[in-house]
Amino acid sequence: MLLIAGIIPRADLPLLEGRVERKGQFLNVQLHEIPSGQGTAAMISAALALTEYLEIDPPRVILAGDTGRGEGSRKIYEYLVDKVAELSPSVLALHYWMPNLELMHQLYEKLQLLDPAPVLIADAASMYAAKAAGLAAGFDVFTPDLSEIAFLADPEAVHPAYIDKHLFQSCDRSTVPDIINMAYKNNGAARYLLVKGKSDFIADKNGVLAVVDEPDVPELECIGGTGDTITGMCAALIAKGLDIKQALILSARANRLAGMVATATPASRIEEVIARIPEVFQNHLDI
Amino acid sequence: MFWGKEKTKRSSGSDKSKKHKGKGLVLFDSVEEAIRAERLVAKAGYACSLVAPPPQLRKGCDVAVEIDLVEQPAIERVLEQASYVEVTPLSGSGKLLDIIQIFRYGNYTMVRAGNMKLTFEEPSGIIVNTSGGGCPDIPYLHIELMGKRLDEIPRPKDIGHTLCALMLDRAVEGARDIWMNGGEK
Repeated sequence: MLLIAGIIPRADLPLLEGRVERKGQFLNVQLHEIPSGQGTAAMISAALALTEYLEIDPPRVILAGDTGRGEGSRKIYEYLVDKVAELSPSVLALHYWMPNLELMHQLYEKLQLLDPAPVLIADAASMYAAKAAGLAAGFDVFTPDLSEIAFLADPEAVHPAYIDKHLFQSCDRSTVPDIINMAYKNNGAARYLLVKGKSDFIADKNGVLAVVDEPDVPELECIGGTGDTITGMCAALIAKGLDIKQALILSARANRLAGMVATATPASRIEEVIARIPEVFQNHLDI
Repeated sequence: MFWGKEKTKRSSGSDKSKKHKGKGLVLFDSVEEAIRAERLVAKAGYACSLVAPPPQLRKGCDVAVEIDLVEQPAIERVLEQASYVEVTPLSGSGKLLDIIQIFRYGNYTMVRAGNMKLTFEEPSGIIVNTSGGGCPDIPYLHIELMGKRLDEIPRPKDIGHTLCALMLDRAVEGARDIWMNGGEK
């Protein structure tokens, strides 16, 4: 079972746990309608598009409203700590929430007790929390962008806003392989990395395993949610049973293809890209 | 399933190393100001405590308020009623990233500040997208900014709570500079 956890930017949304389904332009969880296009909702939408296409179970989600104070985030951490053994996901994808290092440690300790252990994916501030708490190596997949791989490589940084300036400035397509190595050396990386950018780098502790740079759709970098969709697709593909490296390569390619088919512009909405995911897999990708 | 034997070797870090991770210090000129500030921050609902700053970070008096660094902008708002020297992380770079990068896509300009990106249309100054970041106020700020003109939006540092909001604010500031100078930086 694929389990996705993260916040929704609505202060009034209670903690929700359950199967997600699509209802028009919205996601529906426990009779609550959630806009499908922002942050964790974009990730869920992309995962759902793919689970529908693959004809596997839809994701189960744990969501709570949070506009930045962290109350909803805390509810999700606490629910996970309490219930994750009972839920026993095969893939657990953690996403937008307040990076609370103490609660992340508590959750990680619970996750270590699971047998079989779930594939652990972290993106957004879940990735920040895992790295800052010194737990990165215990995760299976991180999906950083260029600024975030610099953060993972900086052994002292607790948030991307406070990374070493020179490391940030030196991070470009040509230096990504070196910075990936630095992240592994400093225990800031998960078992697999997908570094998103003009070229997408898939790597493990031995270095770069694959580079995906076609089709080139530079406008995708402007669109809020294009990283979230990669993480959502990757989570769904791993839940389907693909090995992690293959899932990461396919997700990176599918995202670019969806952007191309949607003729993405810097003003496009992520929903336009997500809508193209099924046809991209139908017409362009073989799984 | 995938961790196998490696899993048992993983360390969750020593208690000592865990203790200060993710923390920052608010530094003060006087002990009285530090005590007053700690009360204000706690009353506003943020985790904090009075501590002795390590010698290398000490500026002013020998008492500081320890905070969760990610909440820096929200706590700085609370401390507008107080007087403090600065906020500094307990580890890593002591300075917030202040690098602005600009990318052009025809009539659109994307401004990147650290991990946050904001794209606006020229010459209208309308924000057409924000992306990047990971803290819980970022999806909320995206909704607040989308489709609005750069000079008609609330500042992310005024309505956000986290370091991602602070970086988005820097992107807004950079975008405003470009837009108000007719596209030149």
